[in-house]
Amino acid sequence: MDLSDVPLFALADRRLAWVSARQTLLAENVANADTPHWQSRDLKPFAASLAQAGVEMVRTDPAHLAPASGGGLGTQQGIFERAPDGNAVSLDKELVKIADTDGVHELVTNLTKKYLGLVRTTIGR
Amino acid sequence: MDITRALDISAAGMTVQTSRLRVIAENLANQDTTGSTPGAAPYRRKTVTFANHMDQTTGVDLVEVARVSHDQSEFPLKYDPSHPAADARGYVRTPNVNSFIEVMDMREAERSYNANLTVMQSTRGMLQRTIDYLK
Repeated sequence: MDLSDVPLFALADRRLAWVSARQTLLAENVANADTPHWQSRDLKPFAASLAQAGVEMVRTDPAHLAPASGGGLGTQQGIFERAPDGNAVSLDKELVKIADTDGVHELVTNLTKKYLGLVRTTIGR
Repeated sequence: MDITRALDISAAGMTVQTSRLRVIAENLANQDTTGSTPGAAPYRRKTVTFANHMDQTTGVDLVEVARVSHDQSEFPLKYDPSHPAADARGYVRTPNVNSFIEVMDMREAERSYNANLTVMQSTRGMLQRTIDYLK
């Protein structure tokens, strides 16, 4: 039996990939909290990226043509505050997102573990 | 692996904040360093700027110190004719370091450092939970 054929594992796999990509982006934002002209970046919500495969363009300017559907990587739209040097990273907002990502990761790993336990039960070990 | 790159990024963020603190320490330590000959220039305040740089070995964008430059603002004058660096009118040029600004900058560096540390802890937790699958 290939575990990745089980829908739950396949979904968990994608979710974890999304979580680690988001964590890398958020870590970049926090590390660049004092870099001039740095715009914070984030991924589109998982539910939106689940609907379609691959990464698509996102509209960062109203003058851009609208993509057919959703989008992948994007520059954050609602900028909270911008420093005189052009930096638009808000540390507290980024840390809230980190906490959220952390929570999602914990949920997914726990669910997967639980399910693995069920699989073990069915094979009698 | 993707998530270990997040650790690299946070580590780079901590390194630049440390360099920033080093420059602040230098400024604060030299806030009374004047010249020793008449009319000589005193210590000039240093500033740090950061930039993003693509690391060739890992392919990640890491933050680094772009340059350490000198603050070109005017030196404040102090009247002290007996000072060895006093000019013909008796004025001494003192460093353009404002300790309040430096201390505020220090708090900011500390805050950014802590934020990077928090991200690192969160990333480590994720790695740990993934490894726990093996148990």
